[in-house]
Amino acid sequence: MSRNTRILMSVIYWAFVVYLFVPLVLMVTMGFKDSKFIGFPIRGWTLDWYSEIFRSAEVLGAFGYTMAIALSTTFLSLVIGTWIAAFLGPHKFRGKLLVFALACMPAVIPGIISAISLRIYIQFLQIDTGMAAIILGHTIHNVPFVALVVMARLATLPKSHIEAARDLGADQLVAFSRVTLPYLKPALIGAGVFCMLLSFDDFVRSFFLGSYQPTLPVLIFAKLRSGMSPEINAISTVVLVITAILGIWAERSMRRMNKGTSV
Amino acid sequence: MIQTDTQRADERDTVPLSTRRSFWGAVMANGAYGSATGLLFKSQRRQFLLLASVPILWILFANVGPILQMVRISFLDSYPPMAGYQPQLTLSNWNNFFAESIFIVPYFRTLAYSVVFTVATLIITYPVAYFLAKHVKRSNQLLFLLLLLIPFWVGEIVRTYAIMILLGNNGAVNLVLKSLGLIERPIPFMYTSFSLGVGIVYLTALYMLLPLYSALEKIPNTYLEAAADLGAGAWTRFRRVTLPLSKEGIASGCTLVFLISTGYYAAPVLLGGPSTTVFAETIAGFFHVAGDQWPTGAAFSTIMLISALAITGVFLKLMGRSGRGLMQ
Amino acid sequence: MSHDAQTIVHIENMTKRFGNVAAVDGLDLKIRAGEFVTFLGPSGCGKTTTLRVLGGFEIPTEGRIILDGADVTRLPPNRRNVNMVFQDYALFPHMTVGQNIAFGLELKGKTKAEIDARTRELLEFLQLGGFRDRTPDQLSGGQRQRVALARALAPDPKLLLLDEPLGALDAKLRGQVQVELKDIQKRTGKTFVFVTHDQEEALTMSDRIIVMNGGKVEQDGTPEDLYFRPQSRFVAEFIGETNLISGTVRGMENGSVLINWNGVDIHGAAHGHRPTEGSKVTASLRLENVLCHPQKPANSNAIEGRVVNRLFKGSRTSVDIRVGDTGEGALLKAYLDPGDASRIRDDRLWVNWDVSHLSILQA
Repeated sequence: MSRNTRILMSVIYWAFVVYLFVPLVLMVTMGFKDSKFIGFPIRGWTLDWYSEIFRSAEVLGAFGYTMAIALSTTFLSLVIGTWIAAFLGPHKFRGKLLVFALACMPAVIPGIISAISLRIYIQFLQIDTGMAAIILGHTIHNVPFVALVVMARLATLPKSHIEAARDLGADQLVAFSRVTLPYLKPALIGAGVFCMLLSFDDFVRSFFLGSYQPTLPVLIFAKLRSGMSPEINAISTVVLVITAILGIWAERSMRRMNKGTSV
Repeated sequence: MIQTDTQRADERDTVPLSTRRSFWGAVMANGAYGSATGLLFKSQRRQFLLLASVPILWILFANVGPILQMVRISFLDSYPPMAGYQPQLTLSNWNNFFAESIFIVPYFRTLAYSVVFTVATLIITYPVAYFLAKHVKRSNQLLFLLLLLIPFWVGEIVRTYAIMILLGNNGAVNLVLKSLGLIERPIPFMYTSFSLGVGIVYLTALYMLLPLYSALEKIPNTYLEAAADLGAGAWTRFRRVTLPLSKEGIASGCTLVFLISTGYYAAPVLLGGPSTTVFAETIAGFFHVAGDQWPTGAAFSTIMLISALAITGVFLKLMGRSGRGLMQ
Repeated sequence: MSHDAQTIVHIENMTKRFGNVAAVDGLDLKIRAGEFVTFLGPSGCGKTTTLRVLGGFEIPTEGRIILDGADVTRLPPNRRNVNMVFQDYALFPHMTVGQNIAFGLELKGKTKAEIDARTRELLEFLQLGGFRDRTPDQLSGGQRQRVALARALAPDPKLLLLDEPLGALDAKLRGQVQVELKDIQKRTGKTFVFVTHDQEEALTMSDRIIVMNGGKVEQDGTPEDLYFRPQSRFVAEFIGETNLISGTVRGMENGSVLINWNGVDIHGAAHGHRPTEGSKVTASLRLENVLCHPQKPANSNAIEGRVVNRLFKGSRTSVDIRVGDTGEGALLKAYLDPGDASRIRDDRLWVNWDVSHLSILQA
């Protein structure tokens, strides 16, 4: 590859990075603007928007609500996703490909269709819109991701480790808790944080399955529909910081997993 | 005080320690546990069924159930059920789709947008992925990739909002253009298919980038060197070696981006205008604005789902692979 | 049930099929307490399947496993008093050496004091004293192998199964570990059932070797039996290098069998069977059992031969000898000591052997 193409490539890469970051930087910046009006020019700076949202019952309520949903979703997704991985990973049976495809389906169904079908489904199940419905919806959406990550890790666990545990007196349950689970730990941490992220960020399912209490993304959406304001920037910035921290944590634990702890 | 504490701790640890079983030893020795597991794990067949039970039930309940319900509702003349009225089967919800252009136009618009945005995402991210996979030192690749990942952890709404700020009449792009003297009045980017496109590409780029990167990263440099050695120029090497070998990545990336972009709801609402109404907004309308027109919404959702899956199916077929490898 | 005090395991007419393929086909044998038994054979011969059936990882399709008088055929691994050293050691990576060794003891419901004492004892016994708190990834290959051994010995099993545990070690270390392993077996008095495809390993360590091929036993005997008195062509070829001699039985002479080998009359021994006169037989004669003489030895029926090919191998020379003066096929491989090699003139020499070393194979 010639020198010129190489330079061109790196220009494209950095331009892409700029494209990704500039909107976010702008958004963060506007949250410190001392004016109700979003846009340039910026004449003064303030922290008022932050002190406002940290005192706002609406925002804090939405934050707590979103967190509670994210934590419950993560727990449920980890249990079910791991169970599915433990079933689909090591076993061969007829129709496995179909079961696998169905298990992964919620991850690839377009968002609006997923949300609408869930809205109809909770009506059918007679679950009211609100927290339980959102948790169910998020869990359905997140389970495939957990299952895939755990299956990938499980595939690297030598069969002999389980057999050694069985050989030394462990029944299936004890072998799973004492050998398989510790081995899966990095995958579970990574998948768990990823679930938190997915749930914390989700809009479309929370929007259609929620009732009066909004989650943070739904709250931002509602506020946006009545006009942009630096308050929204402040809320978004908080969301951004939380998600970035969660994301880096997830990334790190997944990296550690790929490096491998097996002997 | 401290001494007594330590003493007590000592007693607690030393005296019973020697006669105590470990936790798992106690569990295994527990009679109730023994008989319960004895029953559960009696035969290999029973173990398999036990392990299969929760996954199969969950997949039927959570993955298949909602879709089947949606399809069922689409054939009913009223839903949610009203007191004292037994819903009748009907095809009128499906017929609605063909009856009015306000439904068909957003449908085709969505498909057209999704195709265009998918192609745009592919063209934009391919060089980025190529640069990452082939020109960045292996030890630095993760760092460079991480840099691209960070913005994608931020949710759909926040990123959509960020695009609104970027493209607004008083946004950064107009500010730059104005200060360069290129324009006098701001260009109204917002609420057009352009702003929607910028937003969707921004939202979906990662789903294209990652499969492309992993496909390109797997191509050994020796292949390209061999091609060069045989006299292939840069363009020929790309067309005859790199492109065919990254086909897998292109196929999965395009499939993911296409499926995801047909499903966006918030981004079109916030970034688009009346002339860019997409099918997701049409579908949502039946659940929000128009009262109980759920069955029509369900029918339209089903149409969308079938179309999206059919198009990706045909696409994957054309790319010469089954959907099998998609999730790997 | 036939059971005597000496027998620790009785594999009763055991068959294990995977689909239509019988990995083990009607295996019937008894293992005595305190024996070091090796299952030897090429891959796919059924040796590992046999071991896994003993461990409880496979349930036989037919037959029974009687362990110390009790039928354990269908017992899962965690409920039989048998432990295994795995090929890859399968040490739990998230546990220390001490925790690995204590694992089986814990699950047996031992008290913490008992566990601690037993762990110490084993660490001491296997010279792992300072490694108790290390994790497996901080150990060398040989140390891991010893930890795996300690872990399997800890619950005091009636039978210790070893699935090619030396395969992962480099050649130099392997020789040393073979000696150690044999020594450990002697000192513990445990019954070791060892599986390997390496004939040298089997010969070095075992009290008894069971050679398997195609799911069946080819020969069951001491290392000396197998080496010097192979009963089948498979065993003769699988273990060490040998001359396979085909000829016709001419009759018995002073308790030995007289064979016509391409026109040369030679003497051999049939161990445990009687070949009929006129029948075609194959016999095995080890290279090192061919005695070569630069001069014709006095009062012996040595045969004259001519060296047609020499390969220098350092401490000795490997030679191909054309025996007698007739047939084309009367070729014998043998070793020459450096002294003899230099004393041979014109490539002429005389060969003979102890009659019992020319072992006539069954069918």
